[in-house]
Amino acid sequence: MNENWTIAYLEARVAHLEKKLSERSATLRIFTRQACDEDVINASRTALGLPPLPRAGFGLRGWKETTTLAPADVEKTMRELWRSVTPPDLGDEE
Amino acid sequence: MSRRKATIIVLAWNRWDLTRRCLDSLYATDRTGAEVIVVDNGSTDETPRALSDYPWVRVIRNPRNLGFVRGNNVGIAEADPDSDVVLLNNDIELPQRDWLQRLRDCAHETSGAGIVGCRLVLSDGRLLHAGTYMLPETMWGQQIGSLERDVGQYASTREVEGIVFACAYIRREVLTAIGPLSVDFESYFEDTDYCLQAGRAGFKTFVCGGVTLVHDEHGSTTGDDGRFMRTFQASRAVFRKKWGKALAARYTRELLWQSIMNFPTGYAMSTREILRALDRRGVRSRYRYVYGPGTPYPPAETSSSGDYLMNVIAMRNGASLPSVGVVYGQGDVFRRNRARRKVGFTMIEVDGFPSEWVRQANRMDEVWVPTEFNRQGFLASGVKRPIHRIPLGVDPNYFHPGIRGVPNGNGEFVFLSNFEWGERKEPWLLLKVFNDEFTAGEPVRLVCKIINKDPEVHVRREIANLRLKESGGKISFVYNREFPYYQLGAFYRSADCFISAGRGEGWDMPLMEAMACGLPAIATDWGAHTEFVHEGIAYPLRVRKTIPAVAKCPYYDGFQWADPDPEHLRVLLRQVYDDREEARRRGMAAAREMADRWTWDHTARKVIARLEDLDS
Repeated sequence: MNENWTIAYLEARVAHLEKKLSERSATLRIFTRQACDEDVINASRTALGLPPLPRAGFGLRGWKETTTLAPADVEKTMRELWRSVTPPDLGDEE
Repeated sequence: MSRRKATIIVLAWNRWDLTRRCLDSLYATDRTGAEVIVVDNGSTDETPRALSDYPWVRVIRNPRNLGFVRGNNVGIAEADPDSDVVLLNNDIELPQRDWLQRLRDCAHETSGAGIVGCRLVLSDGRLLHAGTYMLPETMWGQQIGSLERDVGQYASTREVEGIVFACAYIRREVLTAIGPLSVDFESYFEDTDYCLQAGRAGFKTFVCGGVTLVHDEHGSTTGDDGRFMRTFQASRAVFRKKWGKALAARYTRELLWQSIMNFPTGYAMSTREILRALDRRGVRSRYRYVYGPGTPYPPAETSSSGDYLMNVIAMRNGASLPSVGVVYGQGDVFRRNRARRKVGFTMIEVDGFPSEWVRQANRMDEVWVPTEFNRQGFLASGVKRPIHRIPLGVDPNYFHPGIRGVPNGNGEFVFLSNFEWGERKEPWLLLKVFNDEFTAGEPVRLVCKIINKDPEVHVRREIANLRLKESGGKISFVYNREFPYYQLGAFYRSADCFISAGRGEGWDMPLMEAMACGLPAIATDWGAHTEFVHEGIAYPLRVRKTIPAVAKCPYYDGFQWADPDPEHLRVLLRQVYDDREEARRRGMAAAREMADRWTWDHTARKVIARLEDLDS
């Protein structure tokens, strides 16, 4: 394989990867509009081959029994709570 | 509406980017009846040239940088002698179109007002300033509300000790009486100095909560910390000499307060609010931790509260103790009162007091309780000392209907309850009744904020054991999350109705705070909080009878508490859900009543009345 072929191949490869990256970013942007922060973190961890974090839910499913108080912010907590109980088609368009 | 003309003085020294942003945002506001003067304090950047593009601005050029005070005084001297004056930093942005008219109205329609400032926020939305105070021990001006997330706190017009002059509306009468800013200062402290001078001349300083401007603080000195500190320390020394004695003389009484401050408990939170209110009213308090090793609560307390005023109060010392000391906590630590005149201040959630509390109470000069309910309990338990009622309160700056919540966007009606899991709060009743009364198809939800610090209690299992129906009313849990106290109003404002359906309360601060935020409340019609809950402003929950208070808490042994009526709870839940107009009416009536009758200032007034008696 001559040098020109190699360069053309690598350029095509880079263009392909850039396109895939751009598509993936667009998907993630859409996803982050619909999902709560916790879901985004867990999706990223899954993509990297890491186990998801234990889910801090607002119902009995995913309940983390603890006697330690976790500092929290009202606005963030309530947005997550409402998002967790809102059907996807009613999700806010922020 | 006042028609007094105003002269807006913008002081600029370099940083044209800031001045341009300030002027552009000022241009977009209503400047009716106002002239704008920019005092260019000897800028060497493009400021002098660029200002020529602003024909609506009168420009005055100083040959060199005269500093903040003299620079502003040049502008004041150039102002129309019949006009009021507004000092405006060039690092201010004005997103509110009617800011000037609001400040002008506040200055001319608020009794006694001479100087008016506004709320200042950082560009990231955090509150920066809602007034200032200066403690004589440290002479370091503190901005009220500083760096809290802006949730709409300090929305009313309030008298304050001082304001920062990043934005200050000064009535002409004040300038006539005391002249321009004091040239004793180059920069810093001149604003507090001016407010104190105005106060001496009979003019009060207010913050107009209806105006919020953006302040990119210290825009003109950023990047020159050495210069900032030199100027600051020089001004501080001048200020101390000028006002040190006067600020110290503001305190007319001393008090030893032995309690708890730096733990997330009701006693600790109320200690902070009481000490703050007492300080505003001229009581110089000293604080000492009353618990620790050898007491029923052995942990040591951390030294920093995260609150400037509280830290100063906790550090205060002196050759002799104040003559009056209050121990504010459970009655079995009254014995730790170190003062000559001893007060024990406590409360309990059942209908009597443990014998050890009574024994120690009878060694006090007098006993304080927040409610008639507890006064009767102490009397019935054998306390022979005078018992006085000192109600607790609420801070209407942080708990009012204008606090911004995070509403549920999907239209569900939200009931909210906030409690520590345990027998006293009787959470099983609320969960069961709510789940039974409503169906999953109805747009309604119960949110329970639950705290559990007991490792022997498994909350999830206890809830699961209730076998709540999937088809029943929907319930969400916010479990063991600790919100900053100042944000709790935003939490309450995220719901439509508050529920406190427990068996007994010593006061119930969450209930009072939610009511102050304008929430209709369903609350058990028994115990301490009947002091401030009634049919006109809330929904009292009927009690079937009193029953033995069985709980882990040893203080309750042998006493009674309430047995709330589940059928009546069911009726009230449905009534609030169905008649929301009436619920809103009661909620707003509650907010008015809390602000009118039950603030920490009311508490402080009652404490001071007792101190006067004890001292005499």
